[in-house]
Amino acid sequence: MMSEKKIYQILDWCLWILNPLLIVLAIFSNKIQPGLFLQWMGKFHPLALHFPIVFGILISIYFLFFQNKRIPVETEKLLLATNALFASVVAVFGILLSLQNFYDGEIIIWHKWGGVAIAILSWLFIYILNFKINFKRILAILFLIVLIGSTHKGAQITHGVNALSFPESANPASEVANTEDSTATIYQLGVAPILNQKCISCHGIDKSKANLQLHTPESILKGSENGDILKSSLKGESVFHKRIHLPMEDEEHMPPDGKLQLTPDELRILTLWIKSGSNFEQRLGGLAKDDSLYLLVNKYQAAANQKASLNFNLPGLEEFNSNYCSVNYLFNGSDEVEVNFFQGANYNRENLKKLEKIKSSIVSLNMQGMPLTKDDIDIVLQFSNLRKVNLNSTGLEIGSLERLKSLTKLKSVSISGIDFDETEFDKFLDGAKFTAVNVWSQKAGKKQLEKVIAKYPDIKIIVGDNLDDEVMKISNPTIAQDSTVFSGRLNVKLKHLLKGTVIKYTTDGSEPDSLKSSEYTNSIILTENTVLKIKAYKPGWISSDVVQRTFYKSGIQPDTIYLITDPHPKYQNDGAKTLINFQLGESNTSNGEWLAYRDYNMEFVAGFNQQKPLKSVTINAFTDIGAYIFPIKSITAEGSNDGKNFENIAKVDFPDGKESDPRGAGSFSCNFPAGTSYRYFKFTVTNLKKLPPWHRGKGEPAWIFVDELFLN
Amino acid sequence: MNEFNEHILNQNRRKFLTRLSLGVGGLALGSLLIPGLFEGKKEEELFTGVLPHFAPKAKRIIYLFQNGAPSQLELFDYKPLLQKMQGEELPESIRMGQRLTGMTSNQAKFPLAGSKFSFAQYGNNGAWFSEILPHLAGLSDELCIVKSMFTEAINHDPALTFFQTGAQVGNRPSMGSWLSYGLGSENKNLPAFCVLLSKGKGNGQGVYSKLWSNGFLDSIHQGVQFSSGEEPVKYLTDPEFINRTDRRAMLDEISALNNEAYKNIGDPEIVTKIQQYELAYRMQMAVPEITSLQNEPESIIKMYGADCLVPGTYAANCLLARKLSENGVRFVQLYHQGWDTHGNLPKEIEGQCKDVDQSSAALIKDLKQRGLLDETLVIWGGEFGRTNYCQGKLTPDNYGRDHHPRCFTIFMAGGGTKPGVFGETDDFGYNITKLPVHVHDFQATVMHLMGIDHEKFTFKNQGRRYRLTDVSGKVIPDLIA
Repeated sequence: MMSEKKIYQILDWCLWILNPLLIVLAIFSNKIQPGLFLQWMGKFHPLALHFPIVFGILISIYFLFFQNKRIPVETEKLLLATNALFASVVAVFGILLSLQNFYDGEIIIWHKWGGVAIAILSWLFIYILNFKINFKRILAILFLIVLIGSTHKGAQITHGVNALSFPESANPASEVANTEDSTATIYQLGVAPILNQKCISCHGIDKSKANLQLHTPESILKGSENGDILKSSLKGESVFHKRIHLPMEDEEHMPPDGKLQLTPDELRILTLWIKSGSNFEQRLGGLAKDDSLYLLVNKYQAAANQKASLNFNLPGLEEFNSNYCSVNYLFNGSDEVEVNFFQGANYNRENLKKLEKIKSSIVSLNMQGMPLTKDDIDIVLQFSNLRKVNLNSTGLEIGSLERLKSLTKLKSVSISGIDFDETEFDKFLDGAKFTAVNVWSQKAGKKQLEKVIAKYPDIKIIVGDNLDDEVMKISNPTIAQDSTVFSGRLNVKLKHLLKGTVIKYTTDGSEPDSLKSSEYTNSIILTENTVLKIKAYKPGWISSDVVQRTFYKSGIQPDTIYLITDPHPKYQNDGAKTLINFQLGESNTSNGEWLAYRDYNMEFVAGFNQQKPLKSVTINAFTDIGAYIFPIKSITAEGSNDGKNFENIAKVDFPDGKESDPRGAGSFSCNFPAGTSYRYFKFTVTNLKKLPPWHRGKGEPAWIFVDELFLN
Repeated sequence: MNEFNEHILNQNRRKFLTRLSLGVGGLALGSLLIPGLFEGKKEEELFTGVLPHFAPKAKRIIYLFQNGAPSQLELFDYKPLLQKMQGEELPESIRMGQRLTGMTSNQAKFPLAGSKFSFAQYGNNGAWFSEILPHLAGLSDELCIVKSMFTEAINHDPALTFFQTGAQVGNRPSMGSWLSYGLGSENKNLPAFCVLLSKGKGNGQGVYSKLWSNGFLDSIHQGVQFSSGEEPVKYLTDPEFINRTDRRAMLDEISALNNEAYKNIGDPEIVTKIQQYELAYRMQMAVPEITSLQNEPESIIKMYGADCLVPGTYAANCLLARKLSENGVRFVQLYHQGWDTHGNLPKEIEGQCKDVDQSSAALIKDLKQRGLLDETLVIWGGEFGRTNYCQGKLTPDNYGRDHHPRCFTIFMAGGGTKPGVFGETDDFGYNITKLPVHVHDFQATVMHLMGIDHEKFTFKNQGRRYRLTDVSGKVIPDLIA
């Protein structure tokens, strides 16, 4: 057994822990949400409170009258500490209990702080043991006052029968009758549930305050010890009616202050029921559909049912979701669902049919681009709470959409891409309760629909433009292949992004013409060097720009090739090999495919293992006047059989570059006389030595850029 | 406790009890401030909650980012005082010590430059638009124009990073990644976050993948950058002799191998890889339908302008953005480069406007006529504004403007925003006089429109919880309908 001192120490520590916690809990009560276990502990408050009350009273009496026969201090402290600990624990339990039952009102606040004061004062007693006697007496009297006051308040908040049992779930599962049961009475559906929840705890089987029981029709009719409660008295109102209508401050107001109160709707239900004669037999179905009592009871039932399911147990939507259909709640905690369909090519009506399971939760439906028919609309019409629907480009007839008007909650409808004319549109809008309609029809433009729109000022109608008057230039056609050098033959494919475009082309260097030029069908076959020009046409559009590309048939490959003069260091790349690598330089002069010369001519030799008859040579060179790159000035061809002594074959001069020359690559050819046949061919390609006076680099030498050599 | 023990443990009853009571009181306090602390919920759920937090107004965003910082004084903010004071020095009372960039700090003078373009008012709210934005001016009643944006960053990279990720330092997730992480993609066949780039002819600043990075979030949330050519997604079709079933079988085998690797190694990037293969497989079916213009009615093409037929232009990207968005992509971001008009401003900005004006307006009109505008939030703007003084030589026809973070204009449309003109700047177009909107405030408002509480939506990384708005930002209710 531990020593007294040890026990006291433990008690002391516990007090130091509990009391600050108690104060924090008391101040912030409304911010605490105890879990179920703590709720249960709270219920021990009315059980445990007896100990500190009795003991507190005894201590007070001891301090008041028995200070001349004191017990040893150690024992005093031990007993006081025990009492204080109980008081604190009871107070904590009390706070937990108060949170569980939504108690309101002044009584609770007084009782709570009174309880806290009891706990603190009990604790304080330990420390005043050595004070003057009179001080102790005053404190004892103070304590008694607080004690009696708080416990009186507590007594006013008496509990019902469910004192110590483990709490049930929030919904009293007693007779929640089925609204769909047509024999259910108003009493069963509207009155009994309210009485069960709010009155039975004091006026039921186990406890009948004022001898009044409200759990069955018979007991209600029997009344209280003071007589009947339903019949109107001489004053004009029944006791029942009077009590529930009294102001809150009145002592006789039912339910009493500190207990669960009637909501306004519940009060109205009871009032209407009493006023209509407190009939226990009248069926709910017998009331008119717009009768207030009917509506209220339905609302009450709906709320009651919902509470049972909305307890974070909304049905999961996984079974409806797939790669082509997404179904979600609008936001966390909402019970409204939105549905989106994607990928028209994979549309499956089964996905829509599945949704019938949650048909009254769906508020928003997006089926844009889905290939729909009347049968799909049949399914959609079941979504009674649908507010917004998107049927853009669904291929439906506007006639089949008229049935949408039967969905009373449907407010926003988007049908862009569904074609209709003015009369069909009028018919669609006639009698519709929509507030927003979005349309775009190829058959009818804004101007034509204006008269129809004016007839329905309550509907906000947005019409897309048809822009028939605008004439735009069509974009350029594109060549599918990237390559420009081919061997043998080449199948050139052309394409254009827009449907219905006609592409005309020429291969002889002339500009394409919409009437005379050949029309592209599925390919163009090239067998030799060709300058291909293409242009796109479409009715209603301005024709595109001309797109031009030169295709080269690869020539005969020399067996050796070497440069006599070196290109400019910056444009050396692969040396001579660049000239025969089948790669054209394109318009980026620094992409590694060009050889450039400036200060001297380009000279190179192409050789074969045996004598080779050649007809011509073609060189692909670049022109960019602004960048000092001018066309080749001349090509001189010489032939040799031993590689040392060369004879002249041919020379050709090219026209000088002009300021207006377009930037781009071009071919420069030199033909050989018939019968030319050598082992080695030497070519001298010259550049313009002095830039003309109109050029800003006048006087300086021009560049030549060469990237490919073709021998034929 | 005897003195020896007491000394060793540095503990005596007084200290112990004090600490204990503080601790227990602290626990009580903790459970008050964080409801459910003792409930044992998963930590992230506790702080983040399940999204959306409340009913969203917008479901998707299309962000038309004008990279380089368009000059608000040439587009939206009409300041005739600058024309009157053309060439005069910027008063110190207005400048109030605003820092300059390295480009103009060497200037001896800061001559005010009025705009070369004329302005007029449009629409019911009398918004000012310059003559180079005719199409957007025509849509004035749909736009929520915020003239009082401000930021602290003065150069492009920090400012861009700040706008996209909420902090000037990098390596944080971008706005699109946050939304991809929080809300995911509506359409499982497409990524949640797509990025489209285009270049204008003006002075361009770079864009780089840091701006659509996933930061510390899972890499599946990185922005998917589409290619600016004819094939926005390359290698989309299967090679010649492989059909779809073979493809599926192959992917299943690869996925099995990857799963084994993940079991052994545990690298989360493996999981991302598996997911990306799956997404790519589904995109093969979804993307061709979306990128093809074959079924697009001609009037739509005409509305966007001739450029939209040329892949890689801003107009083509706008049209593609609409198609991606209406097919469920949560966040589509466009970047149009070339607005950094330090010099040659009149010519460059006119060219830029020709690129973007018609197609931006067409995008909004297109969404509206499909009934999608009230659930799609369209944002148009840059990373900061431009100065009212001229950078470089000021001539009657030509001038340039430097960076100006203290006030600039962006606009939004649809998605629950309230049309109108919000915020005001002073007559010099230098300081804000009404309703300052910081970048964090803007981000908080955008999040709010998507149904997310920006303070609750966090992610814990390296011991700290991060959020898009970092440490500041409040929702601006004026901008919300």
